[in-house]
Amino acid sequence: MDLVLQSIVNGLIQGGFYSLFAIGLVLIFGVMRVVNFAHGELVMVGAFTIWVVHAQFGIGYIPAIAVAIVLVTVIGLLMERVLFRPTRADPLAGLICSIGVLFILQVIATLVGGDGPSKQVPPPYHGTLVLFEMIRIPYQRVFSLVVSAAALGGLWFFLTRSKFGWALRAVAMDREVAALQGINTNKISIVAISVGAALAGLAGGLVAPLGNINPHMGHNVIVTAFIVTIVGGVGSLSGAILAAILYAMFHTFVTVYFGATIATIAGLTLMVVVLIVKPTGIMGVKVSE
Amino acid sequence: MSLLEVSSLTKRFGGLLALDDVSLTVEENEIRGLIGPNGAGKSTLFKNIAGFHKPTKGAIAFQGQSIVGQKPHTIAEMGIVRTFQETTLFQELTVFDNALVGTHMTAKTDVFSAILGLDKAVQRRARKKVMEVLDFMGLADRKDQLASELPLGSQRALALSVALVSGPKLMLMDEPFAGMNAEETNHMMDLTRKVRETGVTIVLVEHDMKAVMGLCSYLTVLNFGQVLAEGTPDEVRNNENVIEAYLSGAK
Amino acid sequence: MSDQGRFNLRHAALGAALLVIVVSVPHFLKFHHQDLLIFLTINVLVVCSYRLVTLTGEWSLIHAVMLGVGAYAATLSHNHLGLEIWFTLPLAGLTGALVAALLCFPLLRMTQFYFLIGSFAAGEAIRLIWVEWVSVFGGTSGLRGVEAPVVWGIDFLDPIPYYYFCLAVVTLCLLILYRIENSRIGLTLHAIHWKAALAESVGVDAWKYRALAFIIGSFFAAIAGGLKIHYLGSVTPNQFTIGFMVFILIWVIVGGYNKFYGPIIGVVVLTIFDESIREFEIVRPAIYGGMLILSILFLPLGLESIPSKFRSWFGAGSTPSEPPLTDR
Repeated sequence: MDLVLQSIVNGLIQGGFYSLFAIGLVLIFGVMRVVNFAHGELVMVGAFTIWVVHAQFGIGYIPAIAVAIVLVTVIGLLMERVLFRPTRADPLAGLICSIGVLFILQVIATLVGGDGPSKQVPPPYHGTLVLFEMIRIPYQRVFSLVVSAAALGGLWFFLTRSKFGWALRAVAMDREVAALQGINTNKISIVAISVGAALAGLAGGLVAPLGNINPHMGHNVIVTAFIVTIVGGVGSLSGAILAAILYAMFHTFVTVYFGATIATIAGLTLMVVVLIVKPTGIMGVKVSE
Repeated sequence: MSLLEVSSLTKRFGGLLALDDVSLTVEENEIRGLIGPNGAGKSTLFKNIAGFHKPTKGAIAFQGQSIVGQKPHTIAEMGIVRTFQETTLFQELTVFDNALVGTHMTAKTDVFSAILGLDKAVQRRARKKVMEVLDFMGLADRKDQLASELPLGSQRALALSVALVSGPKLMLMDEPFAGMNAEETNHMMDLTRKVRETGVTIVLVEHDMKAVMGLCSYLTVLNFGQVLAEGTPDEVRNNENVIEAYLSGAK
Repeated sequence: MSDQGRFNLRHAALGAALLVIVVSVPHFLKFHHQDLLIFLTINVLVVCSYRLVTLTGEWSLIHAVMLGVGAYAATLSHNHLGLEIWFTLPLAGLTGALVAALLCFPLLRMTQFYFLIGSFAAGEAIRLIWVEWVSVFGGTSGLRGVEAPVVWGIDFLDPIPYYYFCLAVVTLCLLILYRIENSRIGLTLHAIHWKAALAESVGVDAWKYRALAFIIGSFFAAIAGGLKIHYLGSVTPNQFTIGFMVFILIWVIVGGYNKFYGPIIGVVVLTIFDESIREFEIVRPAIYGGMLILSILFLPLGLESIPSKFRSWFGAGSTPSEPPLTDR
């Protein structure tokens, strides 16, 4: 029973983290119709920034997260302007360009961090929160959960209450119709990639003290993001969040009982099944082509 | 037995009733016109017959055999071939290769024959057939041009050739005259008559009234997914329901 | 089409020169470069088989894993059944074809973006099965023990004999792939790519042909995997990651995927280029990434399109029209 409750809490924390980068992928695909294969590397760059700014230069953890967010957002904006905008006619071209970016970012990370073993960032928050004398959550993870929830809440507020959010959803639904209504789709693309990249940078900042940091950590991130995005529905933000939390719980449970690899295989199989049975995902709407 | 019998066909898209209890029969070797205002369900009817959509309700029989729920390629093999709205061609292939794709049903081959060249005789026959049809359609001297390089009239003739070379019994032509000038229209009308003379039955969806009235012996008028009127061109022209539908559509 | 079959002096000379080069080249190379030449030869088969899959317009991300399927099939059949390379290679190909045939049912229900992601997921799942199922596939450290045999005193582990063996196998496979592309089947695949609905309207079963291209492409990918593993002597799941898949994509795209020989040019040029930047080991992937981006932005039809670009720049007569897609 302890284990079950503990796993649910761990899954919830993990799910919040998954949501941060899955949402970015959904936003970028929704608005630009580009599958950003380098999205995992954006998270990696965020984590590396924490390692450099916080662990190496000794600047505070929170300012380091801010630096990570700004840096990753700038990278995202560059990708939009230089790669995705000129190749908009051909969605495959955008995807392949993002693979190029993936390589470049990995190499930059290797150059910055050296070719050695994975880096660690000592958690800035110590101690463990104990609930009901059986669930133990390190404060670092409590922080991660609170910040993810706040960021998602802020995003929800932005998308539903602001003019930009409304326009963004309109473009994601149908780019041409939105353009006819006078929405500047280039501007919206910039907003979408900024939000997506900023969330990826934040995700990197949150994961840095919790795991190993290396140039190839983006791989697991993108696999997870794909599973979450497809299961949740390619066009659906709420679907992505729901799927992120469900998949995180699923993954946590299967990992506890069968191991992490089996958990990922099961996740991938689940994704293929969803693609076949309901390509629009659990919460998806039909994406207009 | 009629060649094609559509009975009580209904097609629903979500809340929209695109076809509502449509029935019609097409006799062997006629040119049937299918007219009606935009959104009347003409193209939807074609897509249901050719297997690109599955009807919600109703029956379609071709030569007495039900074809509802069959895949497009199966329906093509039974002898129903459609042409598409606008100019749907393999733009990046040559005129010859476009028509050669049309011979698929008689010339398809398996991997081993393809590798070893065992299908040579079959392919030679297919190419001969293609040349005959291109000659017949007046496209023979353009055979090595890319389809995208042809003028509109020739592109439509090529689309007709792709369908004709597959040896259909029934051809469904979707707006073959759209966007043509008078000269191109006359040429296309001649070609359509020539196709019919080879024994092919034709159902034609068209807005160009001059072409429809000139070609068809019998017309079916659709409006809001229902059959509004049927009859010879003269009967239809003087039918009050038809006149009203077109006038209200024209507003 | 009348060109076909007519004796063409220029083509014959080109062919003879090519033959002399590929046959004599290993003798001018150092041992390390001979190794590289073998992998290059195998990779030519990899890109050409991948191109066949893409002919219908669908880009898959599972091709690298199909090499792995062949590699594991070859290793397992060698280690457990004692089969030599002559039998393990066809067996590898058949295993690849079988796996592809089974995957057709889920994967080919999707197209475009969904197919891309679906094929990625399926490939990653297969790869993780190799990682997880240690008793059969050896886990992350993989399997060893497979090697090329000694026949009539010729040691096929020696790079030069093995190169000739690869050259023979790859040439045969390319010949078959070329025949398929230039047959009625190739024409049908092109037709499905450009207008699937029109092809279906004249009786083409598009699903069947997509499946056919996927299965044949996987067959040859698996043979390439077998060839590779018999030379390397061991197989691990890490040889077939998305990283290797990306290299396949780069070779095909930089070379140009509209012509049969485009991907071959891509893999040859990039392998030579890769060797020339060996000293920049760490930044090598970034150079590749940059090149991929530049070629997408500035040379979308690939290296293959450079000669015709030159011709149109210097106006040397009219550009020749596309060669016919079928062999008459």
